Amino acid sequence: MRKKILFLTLTLAAAGAQAQILPFLSKRGPQQPVVQGIDALRAEFAAQSGGTTIYYAPGNAVLTPPSRTVLSAQAAWIRRHPEMVVRIEGYGDTGDTRDHALAIGAKRAEEARDYLVLMGVPMAQVSTTSWGGERSGLGRAVTILVR
Amino acid sequence: MKRLTLAFLLVTVGTAAGAQQSAPSATVVEIPPLTSPDEGTRGNEMLQIGWEATQLIASDLGQTAELMPLKPKREDYVSYPEVTAPSFGKWRPLGAKLLLTGFVQSRSDGRIAIGCYVYDVGKGTELARKGFVLPKSDWRRAAHKCSALAYTAVTGSPGMFDTRIAYVSEKGTGDAKVRRIAFMDSDGYNHKYLTSGNSIVLKPRQSPNASQLAYVSFESGKPTIRLLDVGTGQERPLVPIDAINFAPRFSRDGSQIAFSMMLGPNSDIYSVGAGGGMPRRLTTSPAVDTDPSYSPDGSKIVFESDRSGSQQLYVMNADGSNERRISFGAGAYATPEWSPDGQWIAFTGRSQYGRRIGIMKPDGTEERYLTNGPADEAPTWAASSREIMFARFGQGARWTLYRLSLSGGDAQQVAIPQDGSDPDWSGAMD
Repeated sequence: MRKKILFLTLTLAAAGAQAQILPFLSKRGPQQPVVQGIDALRAEFAAQSGGTTIYYAPGNAVLTPPSRTVLSAQAAWIRRHPEMVVRIEGYGDTGDTRDHALAIGAKRAEEARDYLVLMGVPMAQVSTTSWGGERSGLGRAVTILVR
Repeated sequence: MKRLTLAFLLVTVGTAAGAQQSAPSATVVEIPPLTSPDEGTRGNEMLQIGWEATQLIASDLGQTAELMPLKPKREDYVSYPEVTAPSFGKWRPLGAKLLLTGFVQSRSDGRIAIGCYVYDVGKGTELARKGFVLPKSDWRRAAHKCSALAYTAVTGSPGMFDTRIAYVSEKGTGDAKVRRIAFMDSDGYNHKYLTSGNSIVLKPRQSPNASQLAYVSFESGKPTIRLLDVGTGQERPLVPIDAINFAPRFSRDGSQIAFSMMLGPNSDIYSVGAGGGMPRRLTTSPAVDTDPSYSPDGSKIVFESDRSGSQQLYVMNADGSNERRISFGAGAYATPEWSPDGQWIAFTGRSQYGRRIGIMKPDGTEERYLTNGPADEAPTWAASSREIMFARFGQGARWTLYRLSLSGGDAQQVAIPQDGSDPDWSGAMD
């Protein structure tokens, strides 16, 4: 019987099934840790920190009080998830010249990273880049992406 | 007959005594078909190349504001001895001030020799001559050099005929846009793509003789400068440092590259040898410093900085000392490029009129705008310092390239296969 159950488990695992569809098995061992997919983690990160995008005033990289609130909440979440890395992507202002947009986007991303690090996030968990004005949709902002 | 000086892309034997500095009206040039000393079938082949070269020279010079070529006519054929000893009496009645003669000769090694001569018709004197030995397929380059010889004889400025334009070729819009670094001869010939289009690329910048090309690639996930040897196709990162870096520009002698890098909370200007080595930091302000451009003698760098609160232009010594602001007009100033003759700095002005192309003297005086905007950007100078190319963002959210003469007139759209931005105009190729 044991062999059969083990065999069944392996088959299901190979088929990519999740353990929760066999509740009678989980009763036998200790409680399995909840495995969250990356999408669920991203959703939780966004929900618990109040968003993944923060905005800046035109032409500068100074963090506003609302941005600091969001970043503080993000830092708390990232500290609880040492297995995750985040990537901060900066954007320039609409209508800015190309290189200045790249530079100000990079500066905005650096400011956000510095704040996360100040809030206790290890440097190794955060990387930055800048899209300047090279991607449509976002301007005067950084997005904080969990990966 | 004078002995013909032949060497591959030889330097001029005697340039003009700067006939006129800036012509109030265009100088008329007569260009009889380039002739050939060869005979028979080979002679016919050389004469055919000569005729095509003649038309190309006329086309080159016809695009300038300073010279006006008379339409070449096959029946104006001159004999080979007349190339170096023209009968000026024949040309005077035509009203041409300048005469350009030349020849095409086949060589035993399979290459061809092209020589050209520029004369002052009124005075009956030779102003300049040049000779080239090159593969038959490269005759266009020799013809461009002949055009430059006549242009320099009249204006005293180097010609921009044998130069190359690098730019970002763009296909599509928004995030689906495919961008490739492309280049072409300044007359649109020999168009080539240098990158595959798999990642975002920006800001190609050529070494002055177009042998090397620096550009910005997002392939690694963040913008970094790559340096490409155009001849061999070999490529490497400009600096061996894992940091955002962008906005490269060569010094006029090709030995140095100035660029922006983020080694800290903001972008500063650095320089590095084109052959490698460790970069040297030139600016230290806590503001965004970017878009450096060397003066032609390499002693100074103009750049933009938002240290005053908005983007403005600053000039410093090439070692980073003696920074001073030069722009004080309304609005913001960006993307400066120093003209090859050192007289002007072209820039993008940002104001209530949008983004416009302007020029000012290196000390900030004599500022004036050349376009009306509202979305013009990234001026680059022709080797002649008399024309500017720039990118315009317009209809259908697309970028196109435009070319503008300082002598006046409307900007002309540059013919390219797809959309284009970030133009870079090289100096004369070796």
